[in-house]
Amino acid sequence: MRIKLLIALGLLVSMLPAAASRHIFGSGFDHAPEGPYSKAEAARFLTQASFGPTLDEIDRLGRMGYHAWFAEQFAAPLSRQLPFLDQLLVEGVEGVWQDKRQEIWWRNVLHGNDQLRQRVAFALSQILVISDQNGALEGNPTAIAHFYDLLGEHAFGNYRELLEDVTLHPTMGHYLSMFKNRKPDEALNIRPDENYAREIMQLFSVGLWRLNPDGTRIDGDPVAPGVQPVPTYNQQTISGFAHVFTGWNYSTCTPPAAPESSGSFNWWHWVWCPSGPPNVDWRLHAGWRTPMLPWGEGTPYGDIYHASAGDKQLLDYPGVALPGGVLAAGGGARTNLAAALDNIFHHPNVGPFLGRLLIQRLTTSNPSPAYVGRVAAAFHDNGNGIRGDLGATVRAILMDPEARNPAIAPDHAGKLREPLLRITQLWRALDARSIDGRIREGWPEWYAAQAVQRSPSVFNFYLPDYRLPGEVAQLGLYSPEFQITTDTYITRLTNSLGGKIHWAWWGNPGVGDWDPVQVDLNRDIALAEHPHRLIERYNLLFMARAMSPAMYDTLVAHVSGITQNNSGSAWRRYRVQDALWLILTSPEYVVEK
Amino acid sequence: MSRSNRREFLQRSLCALAGSAAFGSMFGKLALAQSAANPGRMLLGSDYRALVCIYLFGGNDCYNTIVPRDGAYAEYAQTRTNLAVPQSDLLPLTALSGPDNGGLFGLHPEMAAIQQMFHEGRAAIVANVGPLVRPVNKALYNQPGTLLPAQLYSHSDQTVLWQTPRADATTRTGWGGRLADIFSASNVNQVLSMNVSLQGDNVFQAGEDVAPYFMSAEGVEEIDLIRTDLPNCGPNGHWNRRRCLSFHALLNQSHQHPFERAFAEKTRRTIETSAEVTAALALHPESDAVFQPFRDAFPDGMPHLARQLLMIARMIRARFDLQMSRQLFFAGLGGFDTHDRQLDDHPQLLATLSRSVKAFYDVLEAMALSDSVTTFTGSEFGRTLTNNGDGTDHGWGGHHFVFGGGVNGQRIFGRMPSLALNDNPDDAGWGQIIPTLAVDQYAATLASWYGLADADRDDIFPNLVHMNGPILSIEGPDLGFMQTPG
Repeated sequence: MRIKLLIALGLLVSMLPAAASRHIFGSGFDHAPEGPYSKAEAARFLTQASFGPTLDEIDRLGRMGYHAWFAEQFAAPLSRQLPFLDQLLVEGVEGVWQDKRQEIWWRNVLHGNDQLRQRVAFALSQILVISDQNGALEGNPTAIAHFYDLLGEHAFGNYRELLEDVTLHPTMGHYLSMFKNRKPDEALNIRPDENYAREIMQLFSVGLWRLNPDGTRIDGDPVAPGVQPVPTYNQQTISGFAHVFTGWNYSTCTPPAAPESSGSFNWWHWVWCPSGPPNVDWRLHAGWRTPMLPWGEGTPYGDIYHASAGDKQLLDYPGVALPGGVLAAGGGARTNLAAALDNIFHHPNVGPFLGRLLIQRLTTSNPSPAYVGRVAAAFHDNGNGIRGDLGATVRAILMDPEARNPAIAPDHAGKLREPLLRITQLWRALDARSIDGRIREGWPEWYAAQAVQRSPSVFNFYLPDYRLPGEVAQLGLYSPEFQITTDTYITRLTNSLGGKIHWAWWGNPGVGDWDPVQVDLNRDIALAEHPHRLIERYNLLFMARAMSPAMYDTLVAHVSGITQNNSGSAWRRYRVQDALWLILTSPEYVVEK
Repeated sequence: MSRSNRREFLQRSLCALAGSAAFGSMFGKLALAQSAANPGRMLLGSDYRALVCIYLFGGNDCYNTIVPRDGAYAEYAQTRTNLAVPQSDLLPLTALSGPDNGGLFGLHPEMAAIQQMFHEGRAAIVANVGPLVRPVNKALYNQPGTLLPAQLYSHSDQTVLWQTPRADATTRTGWGGRLADIFSASNVNQVLSMNVSLQGDNVFQAGEDVAPYFMSAEGVEEIDLIRTDLPNCGPNGHWNRRRCLSFHALLNQSHQHPFERAFAEKTRRTIETSAEVTAALALHPESDAVFQPFRDAFPDGMPHLARQLLMIARMIRARFDLQMSRQLFFAGLGGFDTHDRQLDDHPQLLATLSRSVKAFYDVLEAMALSDSVTTFTGSEFGRTLTNNGDGTDHGWGGHHFVFGGGVNGQRIFGRMPSLALNDNPDDAGWGQIIPTLAVDQYAATLASWYGLADADRDDIFPNLVHMNGPILSIEGPDLGFMQTPG
């Protein structure tokens, strides 16, 4: 309680400069009844809901209010990746590889008007993981871009539909080997691949352990001390789903022309099914950007390679629609897939499991059970009796009292900022751009340990349950982003920010032909003679005016000490650059509260 | 020193470290300067020991790595069908002893370098190791109530099971980390962690008190904008001094949030350590003649694993400069999750492993340190015996390699599992082979060679006491593949 009190006092103190500055600027902050009630609140919200606040967007959100902003963002059309890559391919002037896919991601998240949609798509890309670090996908940026656009389309849609589209996407088919997965063949000792069966449950939907509606683990044995977790599924379940996920191939295959038993059975059309015509670049192939199909569907021979025979043990849980969670023998690839995805989707774990993962990407690494419970409730029922509404879920995450009101959130609320979000926040706040409008930032994992859809494995860049050894673990806290905060990446990201601030600035002749993304320092150079106003502006843009007095004083003193005398004619710019770099590398900033 | 005393000692050391790591201290660099000036001061050489883990990410298909070359080949070929390695391609192994159930074996044709090391006595094979809570056979496995590791066959979980190795409980520390909790105190250098990872974060090296230090195969980088190459941000008037001071002021101010404190601490450690390691590595550049075996093995450029091992060799060579008498390294090779295209991908991975390890030991021989450095493989699981068409799926037990002059080489330890397709007594049901040795035993044997006292063994490997009885191919805490250190 005492800590809480101290923090409350700290909040009061830290609000003082904000109030003072409001007085200085004399700008009344018009606000909608539901808020935000201050620029600081608007900035804080935009840090969670977008790729970084800008001065304009802070004002705009203030005038609109949260409700209108959500309505606008839910309706905003998706900024797509694929058209950009397709156009480059058609033009044929430059190579179209994974760096170009990174480029269009940067462009959309920096400049798109669908900020919330992009932010949620980025979060989903870290849950429904595919990666270009995979032999089958590394040469195919368009297919991965198509998958990302799918996440964007569904960002406020229904999770059941998203799960199906993701399952049938050829990139996911390759990444987790459901593509060309086939029914068992005793003679050849072939049995269905279990990769997708396992990961769709473990990572995309229900997780390993049965959960209460608030995300805590169900205690399988209340008599025994401690919580005895209950597994969500077992090997039989995995085998059951593995059999369901069989029989699918590109949509572009020549169908079977004879039954499997016939001597003229054309099995090679399954094995060597092309994703498109040989004279067309495979990055434009329809097979990579249309859902997979059951081979033989609609022919008299049926879904040849689907494991129709045999009962399939799916998830069993209270209220499960299938008796005992068993999908009866028979059925085609498509109907069985639908039944299996329904079986997953209605598992009571999905709301709290997915809700917590999205909360961790948007607001805090350590939501209280009550917070998870409220989000899971919104997932369960969007208010109109519909389950799985991602828009309602995202809104519940962002508008939850624990997300909106730091005073009532737990002491440890917040998260270590994702490295990429530190970069986007800087660039959006400083209106960064290159001269020709291109973004040459194709390999950010080198300094950020992170690049969209380039994680080392299906387990993303970090695990949701990672606990940093030491105090964080001793407090029982989760700290996913600390898993990539290694000595190497602390150094590289700190240096990369140095380059992006001290070298890549608009007007620097030193950048030569590189034409990198350049921060525009001019707006803030105009404030450089007023260190308090400069730091106060950055306090708003980067820290939602929550900067501690100690940090504020250090920065003002540092900036004030840069003078024409000791720094020459560019002293104003140095003030701005040093302020930016010191803030963006400081522990107080790096931990978003 | 009892364990609790040792812990207190360690805590005190760490407190001292925390104090010295505060801004301004250049403990590390001073120590470095002293040792350079007076290299004879440290009596490290005779007692130096290092463990190197090469983690094969994704689960190595050990059944295509080590293959029967006698009559049992027919059974293997029948089970593996189109994935089988041709019998005539196998590189024969002539073992001085083992496996316990007999049989002749060969290596995958891409592993000539390891074949050579095996016959030189610098490599041993440990058969069918995996995570266990209790020894189990097929009957027990199928019996309700048998204690089994949770979430078998999952990458992330079996990686944790391998690296902790606590199949019986949830823990966030690994055995390498717990070893470091004990042995770090014996390093004069209390700034650089005993545990160094070239492959990012891992559970294996995380201890209660010790966190691993990460570097890359390219070395250590430094934060440019605060560099002064001088202590205390340089003298008055240095061009970087004011920025450096302000950076540290923000780092060292009092922080409310535990994440802020953690980030500040990590950043401080990064700065101090990078300066120290950079200085030490500069004394042992990659171009040194002693590292020639790496260039010879890979004239067209080194794969990532070879680069990692080369950097480890440089760190080992810099042990006097860094004042380290115990080191534990983590390196990795990815891509073993061969659900598909196994025949294309797997041979290249084995070739990389084989040639990289041999180059590493050729360098260690030249440094007369082969006996002091033991390298071992880890991997979350072996793969299924059965074939999914063009690949294999997640299994359970798997075979592993141990390399070094301290190894009882040219031997195969433990029992090879049946490779039968039907009625296989070692098959858990889907081609997943039930381990006949526990990771706890494998790790404890290595830890014992590293210097872990028998009395401390149960602290580090609490589940080891259960690894007895006839189900296991070898009972008890020592599998015998390491020589008793002299």
